[in-house]
Amino acid sequence: MSLSDIWDVLVLGVVLGSLYAVIAIGYTLVYGVLQLLNFAHSEVFMAGGFGGVIALTLFEPPVDPSGFQSLLYVLIGILGGALLGGAVAFGLERAAYRPLRRRNASRLIFLITAIGASFFLYNLAGKLFGRYPMPMPTMYENRQLFEVFGTSVSVTQLLIVVAAVVMLVTVDFAVNRTKMGSGIRAVAQDPEVASLMGVDIDKVVSRTFVLGGVMGGVAGFLFGTNLQVEYTMGFLPGITAFAAAVLGGIGNVRGAMLGGLTLGVVEAFTVELFGDAWRYAGAFAVLVLVLMFRPTGILGERVGRAA
Amino acid sequence: MRLAIPVAAGALVLTACGSDDGGDSGGGGTTYKIAYQGPLSGQNVALGENMEKGVQLAINEANESGDYDFTVEYVAADDQGTETQATAAAQSVIDDPDVVAVVGPAFSGPANVAAPLYAQAMLPAVSASATDPTLTEGGKFATFLRAVPNDNAQGLAMADFLAAQDGVEQVMVVDDVTPYGEGLAEVAESELTAAGLSVERQSVPADTVDYGGAARTVTESGVDALIYAGYYEALAPFATRLAEAGYEGIGISGDGSNDDELINLGGGAVEGWYLTCPCTEPTANEATAAFAEAYESEFGLPPGTYSAEHYDVTNMIIEEIAGLGGDVSREALHRNLAENEYEGLTKTFAFDENGEFTNTAIFMYQVEGGARAYLGGIDELVGG
Repeated sequence: MSLSDIWDVLVLGVVLGSLYAVIAIGYTLVYGVLQLLNFAHSEVFMAGGFGGVIALTLFEPPVDPSGFQSLLYVLIGILGGALLGGAVAFGLERAAYRPLRRRNASRLIFLITAIGASFFLYNLAGKLFGRYPMPMPTMYENRQLFEVFGTSVSVTQLLIVVAAVVMLVTVDFAVNRTKMGSGIRAVAQDPEVASLMGVDIDKVVSRTFVLGGVMGGVAGFLFGTNLQVEYTMGFLPGITAFAAAVLGGIGNVRGAMLGGLTLGVVEAFTVELFGDAWRYAGAFAVLVLVLMFRPTGILGERVGRAA
Repeated sequence: MRLAIPVAAGALVLTACGSDDGGDSGGGGTTYKIAYQGPLSGQNVALGENMEKGVQLAINEANESGDYDFTVEYVAADDQGTETQATAAAQSVIDDPDVVAVVGPAFSGPANVAAPLYAQAMLPAVSASATDPTLTEGGKFATFLRAVPNDNAQGLAMADFLAAQDGVEQVMVVDDVTPYGEGLAEVAESELTAAGLSVERQSVPADTVDYGGAARTVTESGVDALIYAGYYEALAPFATRLAEAGYEGIGISGDGSNDDELINLGGGAVEGWYLTCPCTEPTANEATAAFAEAYESEFGLPPGTYSAEHYDVTNMIIEEIAGLGGDVSREALHRNLAENEYEGLTKTFAFDENGEFTNTAIFMYQVEGGARAYLGGIDELVGG
C-alpha cells in the first residue's frame, strides 16, 4: 500500500464510519435510558431510506438541477428520512416498548420484542413498498469535488460526512446542554430519583427514541443516496452500528461516534488488504479484541454523566 | 396501545390482498399441478417474476385451449433465491401429491439444496435458469434436468468475446460469492487464461454495503475489461461506484444481471455494459413474437429474462403429461421428459444421460441509451 492508497481508503472508511456513527447514536441513547438493545433500530434506518425516496418522488427533482435546486432536494430528502425515521421510532416505543415498561417486563422480554418488531417492520416495508430495491431519485450530478492529498472526494461523500458531523454535533449539544438532554441524562442515571424530582419519564423516553430515530432515518436516506433502498437494507449496517456502539461504550454518545468511525475505517482497510470477503471479519475482530481488554468499550459506559 | 391497533389492522388488510395464484381451471378431468420454485420475494424477485409469468402463461393457455382432457394448476414455491429457504420451498411442493413436475429451482444455490430432495421424491425438476455446471455432474441428482446452457458455455462466450476485442489484455473477474457467481467466475477465468489474457480475481459478497473499495481495486489494477459474475441487484451499485472511480474499460456480466431492473437501479452507470445470456430476446425473434404479444396482453408488460424459456419448459411438461395418457406418475413423467426431444419456441429441448442440456447457444445484450439492446448470438459476434 502506498501513501496515496492509504488516503483513498481512509476517505472511504470515514464516509462509511460517519454513517455508522450516526446510526450507533440511536442504539446508545436508547440503551442509556432504558438498558434496552433496540434491535428494531435497523428498521428505523431502513424507514429513513424509504422516507427520503418518498419525499423526493413527491417533489420530483428536475433532470438537470442547478446547484441551489440540488441543495433544496437534498434537504427535502433529509427531511423525509428524518420524519419517517422519527415517526417509526416513536410508534415503536408507543406500541411495543411502553406496554412492556408498564408491566415491568424483564429484559429478555424486551429483547425478544425488539427482534419481533424488527421482523414485523421490515416485512411490512416489503409489503408496502414491494420487495424490489428502489433507486434513489437523482438529486445532483455526483461529481468529484476536490482532492485531499491526491484522493478525490465526490459530492455524495462530502454530503454524508457533512450531514453526519452536523448531526453528531447537534446531538452532543442536545444531550449535554439542553433541558431535554438533562432529562435524558437524569433518567439514564437513576429513573426513580428522576421521577421523584418531577421528570416525566414517559416523555423523556419517547423523546430519546425520536431523537435516535431522526438520526437513524437521516442516515438511512444518506445511505440510499449512493446505492438504493430496499426493505432488507437495515440489517447489516444496523448490526455493524450496534457493534460500534458497544465498541465505544454502550450508553456513551461520544463513544458511539468514536466506535462508528473506528469500525468504518477498519472495514475499509480490511477490504483493501484482504478483499471484500473479509469485510465484517476485520470489524468484529477489532470489537472482540477491544472488549477483551476493555469490557466496557473504549470510552466506557458513562451513562448519564456528561460524556 | 391505541397506536398499535391501526398499524396491525393495516397489515392485515395488506396481507389479505394476497397474490393471485396461476390461472383459472379449464380443461376439466384430472387436475395436475406444476410448481415453480424461484425467488418470488426478497432480492432478485424481478428475475423470479419474469419466470413465473412464463410458467403461468403456458398453464393458462393450455387450460383455455381445450386440447387437453386434464386441468393444469399452478403452484408457487418461493425460495427467495436463497439456500436457506430452498428446503422449505421444495418440501411444500413434494408434500402435495398432485404436483407432477417442478419448473426450477431457478437459482443454482437453491438447486443444489432442493434437487436431492426432489430426487428422493422422484419428482422431476426442470430448471431453465440454474446454470452452475456442477449441478449435472455425473447425473448426481436423479430427477434434475437442466433446460439451459450452463455457465461453461456462458464463461466461454465471455472469454471469446473479450479476446476478440481490440486492446483487451488484462481482465478482472469479480464474483459475488454465490454458487452461481463463483461457478461462472471460475469458468470465465480458466477460459480467459486459455485465450492468453492475464486475469485477476476478486470476490465481493452480494450484500456488501459499500462497493467503493472494490471499485478502487478495479481502477487501481488498470485492467482493460471487467467480468462481474453475479446478479443485477449488486451490479447496479457496483457499476455506480466504478463510474465514480473513473473506470473506463469494458464491463460484462451474465444472465443474473440481464434484467431491466439493472438499468432502473444503475441508471447511467450501467450504460455500455455487455450482458451475456443463454436466453433469447422474445421480441427480436419471429418464433417468439407471438408469445411476446400474448404475454404482454396477459400481464400488461413485456416478457423479461427467461420468460420465454419458462413458457417453453412448462409447455414441454404439459405435452409430456398429455403423452402419458391417463397414466401420469412422477417417475413416468421424468422418464419421458429426460428421453424425449421437444421443439420449443426458443430452442430444441433435449437432455443427455446426466440431465444436461445438449445445446450451448449464448446470446449477447448491451445497455444502450437506457435500454437493453439485443446484439445477437455470440458465434455471430466473434465470427467463431
